[in-house]
Amino acid sequence: MAERDRLVMRGIRKSFGPVAALDGVELRVRPGEIHGLLGGNGAGKTTLMNILFGLYRADAGEILVGGRPAHVRSPREAMALGIGMVHQQFLQVPTFTVVENIVLGTRLRNRPGLDLAGPLRKIEALAERFGLPFDPRARLGDLPMGVRQRVEIAKALYRGVELLILDEPTTMLTPQQVDALFASLKVMVQAGLSVIFITHKLREVLAVSDRITVLRSGRSVATAPRAEATEHSLVRAMVGEAVDVDRSLLFARGEHEAALAQSGQPVRLALEDLSAADPEGRPALEGWSMTVRQGEIVGIAGVAGNGQHALAEAVMAIRPRQGRVRLDGADLSALATQQLLARGLAYVPENRWEDGCLARASLAHNLILGAHRRPPFSAGRFLQWHVIHTLARALIAEFNIQARGPEAQAGDLSGGNLQRVMLARALSQEAKVLILHNPTQGLDIASIEFVYQQLLRHKRTGGATLLISENIDELFLLCNRIAVIYRGRMAGTLKRGQFDAYAAGRLMSGMPGQDAEAAA
Amino acid sequence: MSAVAAAPVRQRVALAVLNVLPYLVAVAASFAAAGVFIALMGFDVARAYQTILFTSFRNANAFGQTLNKFVPLLLQALAFALPLAGGKYNVGGEGQMLAGAIGAAAVGILLPDLPGLALLPLVLLASLIVGALWAALPAWLLYRWGINEILTTMLLNFVSFSLVDYVATHVWPDPAAGHPTTAPIGAGGVLPVLLPRTTLHAGLVISLLVAAAAYVFVARTTVGYELVATGANPRAARVFGIHVRRLFLLSLVLGGAVAGLSGGIEVAGVHQRLIEGMQSNFMLLGLIIGLIAKGNLAAVPVVAFFIAVLEVGASAMQRTLAIPGEMVFIVEALILLFILLSDRLRKR
Repeated sequence: MAERDRLVMRGIRKSFGPVAALDGVELRVRPGEIHGLLGGNGAGKTTLMNILFGLYRADAGEILVGGRPAHVRSPREAMALGIGMVHQQFLQVPTFTVVENIVLGTRLRNRPGLDLAGPLRKIEALAERFGLPFDPRARLGDLPMGVRQRVEIAKALYRGVELLILDEPTTMLTPQQVDALFASLKVMVQAGLSVIFITHKLREVLAVSDRITVLRSGRSVATAPRAEATEHSLVRAMVGEAVDVDRSLLFARGEHEAALAQSGQPVRLALEDLSAADPEGRPALEGWSMTVRQGEIVGIAGVAGNGQHALAEAVMAIRPRQGRVRLDGADLSALATQQLLARGLAYVPENRWEDGCLARASLAHNLILGAHRRPPFSAGRFLQWHVIHTLARALIAEFNIQARGPEAQAGDLSGGNLQRVMLARALSQEAKVLILHNPTQGLDIASIEFVYQQLLRHKRTGGATLLISENIDELFLLCNRIAVIYRGRMAGTLKRGQFDAYAAGRLMSGMPGQDAEAAA
Repeated sequence: MSAVAAAPVRQRVALAVLNVLPYLVAVAASFAAAGVFIALMGFDVARAYQTILFTSFRNANAFGQTLNKFVPLLLQALAFALPLAGGKYNVGGEGQMLAGAIGAAAVGILLPDLPGLALLPLVLLASLIVGALWAALPAWLLYRWGINEILTTMLLNFVSFSLVDYVATHVWPDPAAGHPTTAPIGAGGVLPVLLPRTTLHAGLVISLLVAAAAYVFVARTTVGYELVATGANPRAARVFGIHVRRLFLLSLVLGGAVAGLSGGIEVAGVHQRLIEGMQSNFMLLGLIIGLIAKGNLAAVPVVAFFIAVLEVGASAMQRTLAIPGEMVFIVEALILLFILLSDRLRKR
């Protein structure tokens, strides 16, 4: 051991009930390095970091921080050890200013009044030094997600962390913002900090990490310096034998079947001048028009919260909307959600717990939701439970849903399994149009591959797909065309062959696209 | 082959035991806890519990009495559990019961000479409809304006008390009674006795049919599925095309109809007239039954019978041992508390 490790986690085990989430994990992080922690969903990345941050207690194993054994029982103790974590969901007070959020929970001079001048200077210096531009006096709720993340990082730096954990930090960022984040991380490690960068995205981990540890099903399968790691070796380590990497769509090189042009096909879904409001009555979608042809996958790219939810719900008539929806030429604008489902629209919502599943009902209940009034599930006024259970068992097997059976409570399932339930529900309806919102979130690589194959099957049979995703790689991989949504309006479109992360990123952050720039 | 088949059966039995066990523990624990109080008050715990548990089964008459008590408890529990399946709380079963009872008494008093074949169905139908209407008002307020149904259903209970008072003292009063009471209904409107030499009336059959129908409705029909989906997650139900507000309306009105019927059966089976205070505390016990059964419509009759046994035993205990019958109310409340507690513990 040439250098002394800042952090050593050895033999870490953690079980939730009968499920071993971590089974003897080892992780060593050196001072001044960005350590990529790579793994599919359910590999145990977040669990491991939650143990380090004191949110969970390990069943076995030891943690050494700076060479000394550490028993981290709470985030406060983690912080005292110089460990900071930026979660996927930020823990922030939207009505406070940036400064107030950063100092919240630290010791402050508050006599005679709250003195924020000192902290403000310190925060401005930190922001300057690490390249984290934000206005410290702004109200946090007014800031976009990318900036709020910088605030969250500044919060950890303000507390003097030596080891910063970032849990999937790039999910809500445009490609440009990702680059800026990586630049900041590099400055931090040059200053001697260590960063643990949790991700499931290969490209990112290869772009920024000094060393990489791969987790698979609760075990650390490999740790390698960046120079020794190749994309292929990491994929192998991540998925084991579960995916045939060479024939995989997810890791496909160059063009493939998904890219086949579909311009000659008739229009299947047409949206004309759709507008809708959010629950508070503010416009969330304005004048959206687009078509999806038979056998076409059209993507909607955008930073989360720019009207994607409103678009999906407007198409499905879940919220009141203006404009027209046509299916194979027929005007369906007057139909209610149930009738749209019956006409062959299928929907996978983004928020699985709130919009997508009946947590307090059985899997069988969940798998027929929306189709429950149609044969073969219902005959007249009565449900055909034997048919439903037969189908449910088949879907559980086909979609590899880890559950006791059709009677299992949906609420007992993990997020990834629930995602599979929603996909099984949508894909088993033989729909003409699929509307999917972040369909692969929370899935492991084998399942993502499975979903992509299913989408291609749908495409081959002439189905149309509207794929709303915050994962630009996914859109580039699958889509014939991509429309970018920004503040409820179409910011621009990209055709296959012109897909470019930076062009998409500019549109996603509201900057004019290529054409406008060329004209200017 | 048999070994293969035996495994799931054993699993199912194990699962069933696992599900019932917390109930048994909760019942035992609540009896133990209440026993401490009985002992502290200086009474004989063993004799008290013997009376509570076995009075109902001592003879046919006592058993009939228990079943007569079981009928309104079962119906009140269903009136609460049906809207609960959709996630709504009907705490107006009492008012709906009295409204139904008024409807039943009105028909029975106004048409006294009709033969039983005509009058009895009319009496019961009237109670059903008036009970449904009584619940329709809060249901509509919820449907149209989203007004909280807990508040409106409960407040209507108070209205119903005054209405009973008015009907029993001003519309069809029985001056001979020393208590606000109406004149008796026509003989054709009285429910027949099921077992000779007991008071057990045919309301039992009706209530069991209603319970079976409620179970089939929720567990087997398409609308019942939509109700369950709504109760499980109204937002997701709406996203998948279910008209959740309509189901709120429907389930509350159905609950009101069942509660109203319980009033009609009390009039036609027990009192043969409308009496102030006839609602007893059936609704409160119905809520407890519904909650102990966790809204499971198949479990409601079982729990209702158990509570009926406790109630009859409690009166006997009060009569023969002079132990306050309220002790049993404590036991019932403790059972509920212990079951809720065991749920919490299991989730840990």
